[in-house]
Amino acid sequence: MPFTDIAVALQISLTYFTIIYLTGLGGLFSERSGIVNIGLEGLMIIGTVTGAFGARFFTDTVGLGTVWGPILGLLFGALCGAIFASVHAVATITFRVDHIVSGVVINLVAIGLARFLSYAFFNGQSTQSDPGGPHLARLDIPGLSSLPGGLDRAFEGLSPMVIVAALMVIPVWYSLNRLRWGLRLRSCGENPEATRSLGVSVPLYRYQGVLLSGAFAGLSGAFLAAEVIGAWREGQTVQLGFIALAALILSNWNPIRLMFFAWLFGFAVAIPLRLNDAPVISLLPDQFIRMIPYIVTIVAIAGFVGRVRPPAAAGRAYEGGGGS
Amino acid sequence: MTSGAGAGGSATPPLVVLERITKRFPGVLANDEVDLELRAGEVHALIGENGAGKSTLMRVLYGMYPADGGRIVVRGKEVKISSPRDAIANGIGMVHQHFVLVDPFTVTENIILGEEGGERLDMEAAQQRVAELAESYAFRVDPAAVVEELSVGEEQRVEILKALYRGVEILILDEPTAVLTPSETRDLFGNLRKLREAGRTIVFISHKLDEVMEIADRITVLRRGRVVGETGPSETSKAKLAEMMVGRPVLFRLDKPQVQIGDPVLQVADLTGEGKLNGISLEVRAGEILGVAGVEGNGQRELAESLIGLRTPEGGTIELEGAAIAGRPVFDIRNAGVGYIPEDRHEQGLVLNMSLWENAVLGRQDDADFSGSLGVLFIKKIKDLAARLVKLFDIRARSVDVTASTLSGGNQQKLILARELETDPKLLIAAQPTRGLDVGAIEFVWKQILDQKAAGRGVLLISAELDEIYALSDRIVTLYEGSITGEFPPDAPPEQVGIGMLGRAPEEAA
Amino acid sequence: MAAPRARPAWLESFVGQLLALLASFGIALLIGSLLILAYGENPIEVYRSIFDASLGSADGIGYVLSIATPLIFAALAVSVCFKGGMFNIGVEGQYYVAMILAAVVELNFDFLPGPILVPLVLLGAMVGGMIWAAIPGVLKVKTGAHEVVTTIMLNGIAISLVAWALNGPLKYNDAPEGAFVDLRTNVFPKTGLAGDLGATFGITPGAHLSWLFMLAVGAAIVVWFLIRRTRLGYEARAVGSSPGSASAGGVSIGSTQVRLFLISGALAGLVGMQNILADRGYLPLNFVIGLGFTGIAVAFLGQNNPIGIIFAALLWGILSRGEVALQISSQVPREFIIILQGLLILTVVITYQIAKRRLAARQLQRAGMAGELEDSDAPDESAGPRGPEETGAEAFEPSDEKRI
Repeated sequence: MPFTDIAVALQISLTYFTIIYLTGLGGLFSERSGIVNIGLEGLMIIGTVTGAFGARFFTDTVGLGTVWGPILGLLFGALCGAIFASVHAVATITFRVDHIVSGVVINLVAIGLARFLSYAFFNGQSTQSDPGGPHLARLDIPGLSSLPGGLDRAFEGLSPMVIVAALMVIPVWYSLNRLRWGLRLRSCGENPEATRSLGVSVPLYRYQGVLLSGAFAGLSGAFLAAEVIGAWREGQTVQLGFIALAALILSNWNPIRLMFFAWLFGFAVAIPLRLNDAPVISLLPDQFIRMIPYIVTIVAIAGFVGRVRPPAAAGRAYEGGGGS
Repeated sequence: MTSGAGAGGSATPPLVVLERITKRFPGVLANDEVDLELRAGEVHALIGENGAGKSTLMRVLYGMYPADGGRIVVRGKEVKISSPRDAIANGIGMVHQHFVLVDPFTVTENIILGEEGGERLDMEAAQQRVAELAESYAFRVDPAAVVEELSVGEEQRVEILKALYRGVEILILDEPTAVLTPSETRDLFGNLRKLREAGRTIVFISHKLDEVMEIADRITVLRRGRVVGETGPSETSKAKLAEMMVGRPVLFRLDKPQVQIGDPVLQVADLTGEGKLNGISLEVRAGEILGVAGVEGNGQRELAESLIGLRTPEGGTIELEGAAIAGRPVFDIRNAGVGYIPEDRHEQGLVLNMSLWENAVLGRQDDADFSGSLGVLFIKKIKDLAARLVKLFDIRARSVDVTASTLSGGNQQKLILARELETDPKLLIAAQPTRGLDVGAIEFVWKQILDQKAAGRGVLLISAELDEIYALSDRIVTLYEGSITGEFPPDAPPEQVGIGMLGRAPEEAA
Repeated sequence: MAAPRARPAWLESFVGQLLALLASFGIALLIGSLLILAYGENPIEVYRSIFDASLGSADGIGYVLSIATPLIFAALAVSVCFKGGMFNIGVEGQYYVAMILAAVVELNFDFLPGPILVPLVLLGAMVGGMIWAAIPGVLKVKTGAHEVVTTIMLNGIAISLVAWALNGPLKYNDAPEGAFVDLRTNVFPKTGLAGDLGATFGITPGAHLSWLFMLAVGAAIVVWFLIRRTRLGYEARAVGSSPGSASAGGVSIGSTQVRLFLISGALAGLVGMQNILADRGYLPLNFVIGLGFTGIAVAFLGQNNPIGIIFAALLWGILSRGEVALQISSQVPREFIIILQGLLILTVVITYQIAKRRLAARQLQRAGMAGELEDSDAPDESAGPRGPEETGAEAFEPSDEKRI
């Protein structure tokens, strides 16, 4: 098969890396503060519908043009994700609902809420918006986009968000490890009793962790809808939120390792999209090729999950402090 | 009436006064108008048995509980302490019985958490500060070490440093020696004396009268939430203190039945596993109680779990009446005649969400008496069993339908005992069987264990309380870092046993 | 001190739970009313029209029951695993695979008489669900892989599996040349269908009410019996509530978990039967999706209790049917129903938590007043190596330790 196909697959993988990495980062903040968040998929969904709307709204209706319009659209998706995540936060932190139960509820409600919002945003269409929404201008990564042998295709025509996502590792790592804020957040996830005994408010940091997870996941969804697909479609998140969760677990909740796993799964997602003709893969029926990302995830999770260590207090309802 | 080298003495005004402090919990009046005075440069011991209210009182002072009545006066001014932050602001710090440290963090990170001195962390400067602080009080600790790797004694030092780092003048220690070896206790007392010299006040909560007599300048005795006495070590004695604590002359010996000791019921040889078990060998014979003495954390839990089947040892053998049971499933081991009183009754004993009767049958639900071949439970029969156990062991509950979580600690332990003893096990493993119980329940449990001996059964008693070991054992062995370090007759002097708990065979001690 | 006349614990919690449920319905309806008002409509009218569409006629009731049927199976599947402390989010994929197997049986054994064919088809469906549920179950026990991730991935795989089957081995060949037919299997034999029950009650055949509803109710009773009256149910509850104590008592956690997944899978397998045996009579590519997820919602609404689940499913059916009323005669969009359903789940889950804690605190209070507690039960004198807890009630929380 032509080399350019691999290059294009790489290009697609970078795009899906962006989605999985951003969502994963969101999950990272939440879980390291001690709140398990399996509602990442639902948060992304809210991001998709509001991001698609926001891109159009700010570009066309408000008339901010093709740079600020999409940017505000993305930020709008992030904001709505954070707002929706506050439901999970209140349920788990204040009311001490089981984290997974709440996450499941988030996912369920998101689907319905997305339809409702779509109806309101997109002229009564409840499962999709009009195609061809505005997005940021594509760019080529300098240097890498002049590689020989067809590889240059992998780094051309990418959304600037790809770079933003990759660079995110810096502020994320720094804030977790070099700021007082990060130390406190992490201690909430490892030992909330210790944290509280020193006068640090556990609920405060956990709320921040969960809201951040909503913002990142919402941003990721907005990116998917507005930048990648160009429209909102029901179900377009195709379990990417759960794949991000798997990547997060495998990376042992480490933002640097997460980059690798996010990219790995991003590549797995790219295979059915571009590498159907590759050797071995082409022997499989189309539908089976589409299963590849999910199979890869299961194999990875089953094979390596024994070697990870989650934040010690994640998932355990913290009993002290009256919940607020 | 000397009180150490400190500046304390009844002439100086008290630093902190607790006046008529009252605190209630559902069904329990934990503190009943308690008065307490603390002076600078003194070690003040607060003693009482389980449930006397000592921890509660200090938690009120530390702002963890709001008092229902009374007031706190610091340096002559009444203050409102509604959180640990307030307490620290008033110069009061507390080290809990169960440490609150963040395992994956370093010593320094644990100490500065909440008091980091700025948004950007400067770990080097912080480590420097911690090192200097430790040195000034002769505390041996490595500021860059990760807490997970520290010994219990070292962890305690970190907890104390946490308080000192925040400039506290009054340091409350809740049962600090419960988890220390005798030599670590000596180190701690050295540190405390240095703190006293520097003018600090230590509140030492304990039920270990030897230590209290050794280190304290003043002693306040609580019983059932009230102060029953305030005295000094030179004015009193262990026996008098014990009597004050319990309200009657304390008899810490029950009569041990005379029984013919038979063949070995349990034989353990060279048991090793996961770094916690380093070659344990011991033997329990029929009609005998073997007491395994040791400070917690030396492999007790792993030993008990290996014997009941919750853990598979890496090496060595375990034989029950000659049959090998190491690595067999729990179900098989139990059926072979082993009963288990776990050290944590919430984690390995009862299913708290289930009712009393459901807990009563746990482990025996497969018996033909209690369920049929298709799996249907005979609920009436099970409830009858539960009712019988309740009557036999005098478990206080409104009915067998109550949820296990509503039972008191003593009644929960009785339920577990009743259930395990019902099967008449050849070997009973009892790990810390009276932890957290008060005197009435302790006596009951001890009697049951002695009854097992009287019936010719074998008992393996694992306990960190020397009183318990002495009260019940026919033979004593000491456990230190996963191996047996010494064997002693039941009348051996406690100092000798203490040396064994330290890791040295008695002959090696100078 | 004489103890107050003892009320059985189950009654207390039943009344408590009922009150909590009613409270949450009230809150959800209230918030919904605000939304309705925003559309300029009268909430009472809107709620009345929903009620009329669903319970106001025999037809409506028929629809409600047939909507509820698959949801009961799905919710039961979820609740069985939940009792054991596990989350089966894969009911969705399990019923997809079950439908494939059911179709295979239908089309290959069409020569069998009805009374034999139909049970065989149902069996095939249950086996299909069991196989698909066994995978995450075994993976969890053998590798510790958290079932939330694995079941969701398997859902994704199942979708493609159905697509492949319908495009390949199960593709229809019974349509006349050149006819325009949506992708599906061959039509199932008449003997293998779940016949219309509605006629006997004057309910339109369009509602597709069949004996599957009775089967669902029967399944609920069986599950109730299983959980409360059998060894497996007992062991499952012990494992789900306190795995440490259960294993110290000799219960095999792994074996219990796998068995629960198998039972759950079998129930999940029956979820799609209403759609293919009653509604359609064949397996189409555009079969009804989402029943697995809705089942989770219904399970929570029903407090994971088989009887509660039946009522919750009926309630869901009422609301779903009510969508029709909105479509016809209101400014409020039909999507409002989805919002209302979402609100309901949220409020129920939260009030359930609050009620549970209140109840535990009350029980503790009771025990205290009856003199059953000892001084050493004051929270600070805690048993075991746990840290200090705030109040006694909190200490008795079931282990929320669901690590991912």
